[in-house]
Amino acid sequence: MGWLHNRFEENFIITSVDWALNWARSSSIWPLTFGLACCAIEMMAAGASRFDLDRFGAGAFRATPRQSDLMIVAGTVTFKMASRIRRLYHQMPEPKYVMAMGACTVGGGPYVKYGYHVVKGVDLVVPVDVYIPGCPPRPESLIEGLMRLQDKMKQQTIARRPQQA
Amino acid sequence: MAEFTTEDALRSRWSAAARPRAVRWFSGLGVVFVLGAAALGLLATRLTGMSYAVALAVAVVLLLTGGSCLGAAVVVQYPRAVGRLLQRLGLPLFLLAVAAIIVVAWAPVLLWPDKPLIVRDVLAVVGAVGFVSLFASFAIWWERKVAGRIQSRLGPMRVGGWHGWAQSIADGLKLFQKEDILPGGGDAVLFRMAAYVTFVPALSLFIALPFSAAWVGRDLDVGLLLIVALFGLGVIGVLLGGWASNNKWSMYGAMREACQVISYEIPLGFSLLIPIMVAGTLRLTTIGELQAGGFWTWLAFRNPFTLIAALTFLIATLASCKRAPFDLPEAESELVAGYMTEYSGFRWALFMFAEYAEMFAAGALTAILFFGAWHSPLPAAWGAAWATGPLWQQALHGVVFSGPLWLIFKGIFFVYVQIWLRWTLPRIRLDQVMHACVQFMLPVTMVVLLAQTFWQLLVPAGSVLAVALNLACTVLGALVALGIASIAVYGLRYRRRLVGTLVVDHLPGS
Amino acid sequence: MPDAPLTNSPDSLADVERVVPGELRTEEMLLNMGPQHPSTHGVLRLVLRTDGELVLEAVPHIGYLHRCAEKIGESVASFQFIPITDRLDYLAAMINNQGFSLAVEKLAGLEVPERARYIRVIMAELNRIASHLVSFGTYGLDMGAFTPFLYGFREREYILDLFEAACGARLTYSFITPGGVTQDLPDGFLDNLARFLDYFEPKIDEYNDLLSFNYIFIKRTAGVGVISPEDAIAYGLTGPCLRGSGVKWDLRRCMPYELYDRFDFEIPVGVAGGTDRIPREVVAGDSWSRYFVRMQEMKQSVRILRQCVQQLPAGEFRNKPKGILKLPPKEVYLEVEGARGQLGFLVVGDGKAVPRRVKIRGPSFCNLAITKHVCRQVLLADIAAILGSIDVVMGEVDR
Repeated sequence: MGWLHNRFEENFIITSVDWALNWARSSSIWPLTFGLACCAIEMMAAGASRFDLDRFGAGAFRATPRQSDLMIVAGTVTFKMASRIRRLYHQMPEPKYVMAMGACTVGGGPYVKYGYHVVKGVDLVVPVDVYIPGCPPRPESLIEGLMRLQDKMKQQTIARRPQQA
Repeated sequence: MAEFTTEDALRSRWSAAARPRAVRWFSGLGVVFVLGAAALGLLATRLTGMSYAVALAVAVVLLLTGGSCLGAAVVVQYPRAVGRLLQRLGLPLFLLAVAAIIVVAWAPVLLWPDKPLIVRDVLAVVGAVGFVSLFASFAIWWERKVAGRIQSRLGPMRVGGWHGWAQSIADGLKLFQKEDILPGGGDAVLFRMAAYVTFVPALSLFIALPFSAAWVGRDLDVGLLLIVALFGLGVIGVLLGGWASNNKWSMYGAMREACQVISYEIPLGFSLLIPIMVAGTLRLTTIGELQAGGFWTWLAFRNPFTLIAALTFLIATLASCKRAPFDLPEAESELVAGYMTEYSGFRWALFMFAEYAEMFAAGALTAILFFGAWHSPLPAAWGAAWATGPLWQQALHGVVFSGPLWLIFKGIFFVYVQIWLRWTLPRIRLDQVMHACVQFMLPVTMVVLLAQTFWQLLVPAGSVLAVALNLACTVLGALVALGIASIAVYGLRYRRRLVGTLVVDHLPGS
Repeated sequence: MPDAPLTNSPDSLADVERVVPGELRTEEMLLNMGPQHPSTHGVLRLVLRTDGELVLEAVPHIGYLHRCAEKIGESVASFQFIPITDRLDYLAAMINNQGFSLAVEKLAGLEVPERARYIRVIMAELNRIASHLVSFGTYGLDMGAFTPFLYGFREREYILDLFEAACGARLTYSFITPGGVTQDLPDGFLDNLARFLDYFEPKIDEYNDLLSFNYIFIKRTAGVGVISPEDAIAYGLTGPCLRGSGVKWDLRRCMPYELYDRFDFEIPVGVAGGTDRIPREVVAGDSWSRYFVRMQEMKQSVRILRQCVQQLPAGEFRNKPKGILKLPPKEVYLEVEGARGQLGFLVVGDGKAVPRRVKIRGPSFCNLAITKHVCRQVLLADIAAILGSIDVVMGEVDR
């Protein structure tokens, strides 16, 4: 939608188009299967039968970054893995989002003090949209994080913002 | 944690001062346009020929514009009420829109019998593209729901209200917004072309696929040949995509897919020869009309050889459509995403559309060739009187005896079988796929072909042997159908008991 | 990377025979599988040298989840290290806790009450079932059968409900500590456990019918990745990988710890096909045997659990040491039978609360070592089958 961005000021048509585009984007979030450690198991449980992310339209986990919108970094990020995370992030097409799941990705988790190989938070590697604390966070927390991400998506607009004075 | 509802979307963007002005303008414009449309319509009745058509068209446009303005006025004046109404009526409105599109598309067919061929062709193409898009959206949603139910969970539930019916629309619109990535180092031209080369044949075969004796784009006398040829063309697109992605995993997927699809075209062709032999023609409408006499005349049940041919055809189309258990080209756990690894956004959606289009075409082809085409299990002769009566009788005939709805139903049934198999069976390894093709399917289809040849030569049509085997196969088929139906009913009735006590206790409301 | 030689190890296959003899030169490809890949059970990277579909050599690269567990062991007190042990084999966290607690108790000479021991065994066996359910599900997923994964997770949810009732956590429990367990079992736990066992035991047969004896699954896994018993012992395999090759070695029976000598259960091993419902194509030591050993182990765990429910005595649930537990200047190495093999803890104390050295023997680390040996001259699709049957958890491999 690059040709549409920042072209028109806010009006009825633009806000309706916004609403439609945001609705589509938030109703069809496809996560990338990117489980690193223990949080991956809770992510899988969130996609499984009891909690079922597919109800939100977010259940189609894609194996390739090219077809996914959301990278749920589930698990500890180590120095060796960090470059791969950044590479995968760059391979995802816009619009893309990153969810930091679990205490390790939020700020280092239990390894923050003595973990010499642990990156203290994945936001040192990729920009993060939603942080989900917990070690590991329950699937309900993951679902709430997803809903917060949906709220964030619904705030986006293609209209031209008024210039600051 | 406020849910963003349709009400919020429709909340008035005008300030309290501007709103009455907006309502006045919209309603004024709306009234003007509607009156203009009425005037033009009255004027049109006095004209003839081309000017009549033009005036009518302009009147319709003005009517629609006027209606939209009036609608906008209502929305601006009463946003909350309209929002709540839309939330509840979303699905019925969507279905009504689909029905309206179908009616508008077919109105010229009924009202303009001697239209030029070009108009007819345009209508056929529009109809085919429209049907495929609709079906692909429906099938993607349905696959997720069926997969969910098999896996003891619900599928999409929230997107659009009732069971997430708008999920495919959201998916499509989201894919439309994605950035278009072309892999660096890959062949850009071939990369783009691959999606089109896969998509176009999958759509084109609907031109020759008859939905009924009268509902067919072009009733070719080599229709079957064209459809099978177009089925096979998709391989080129996959190979192009795998090569142009500059990715070893895509190459693997493309190679595997080429291997598999091309090999399975041989048993596919051999199985196809059976109905061609029975009918004596490649024309699909003729093959369909052969099966108009009730389900004992369906080609699958004529004799055991045609029954085996029907089954081998079904398996060969599974391999052709790259569906599980033959889904090695898209094997997620090994090849990431196979030949589609590097495709993002709408290009990937084209591949998916092509796949679902092919699935329906395969199912419809199975139905046309073996399982009664567009006829219901009742013989069409019983309703012959209705076929030439007034319009409502013809519609009833179409629903009860033979009509495009039956073909669509059968196509969807075979698509359901494909979905069911995908979520049940593991994946077969490539060498085992080839082994099954060359050492099992090929001999079986060859033997069946030979047997059917001799059968047709030596056994007269009404003889005791023919009738007895026909009856036997019919009874077998009926038993299988009844078996499936009864298992479904049993599962539905005792679903709580079947899942077990712990699951039941965890269900909401218990 | 593309030009880095794979010939560092003495096990190099530079002289492996090509498939096509004669003058036809085929080109090799160097493929990278992972570290992000749906089928490698975590962040494992496999570099494959392939000739078409045939894999000539597969070299695993690890270290992508190295979380400095042993360094942390030298920096925090023993009871503070328990949460770190949770995260080693995160699918069977209770067993990790149990192993470390037993090592510390042996080092410090701490007595554990009888009821606490029974509770530990209950938790360990439940966790073994939960872990095997995940391995069953992901193996089906690797083979393309998507549904058993969800069934496995559905049954797992009931086990996690039990764990949540007992200690409040679903995945990383920190429940078993030196001295016993942190809390007593809540009311109704044993009834719920009995109900779960009655519900679950027939399900194992159902899943066997669904996946284990499915013809396509057998064709994919039987005869693939055969490891002979001598190789298994030589490479230090333990757990279902070792038992799948026919070696009847299980620490719970052979070197019993923690009340396992009181229970009556069998040790399933892999056998050749043809007898007793085992499919004909199966060879002892192939992927199917390793997988089926896990299915049978679930049944044996159910058996142990039923006996625990009957025998559980009343009493204390913890022998809490006064003050912070100081570890005497000795060393102890103790192994327990984890879900994936023998999990060993070496704890070296030096008179303080913080140990001088904690070394963890991760069973998956040793099991993974056989990858290079067994993944030769197999098809690309078989790599997923072999790796899934070895069932590695990278938390244990990289620690």
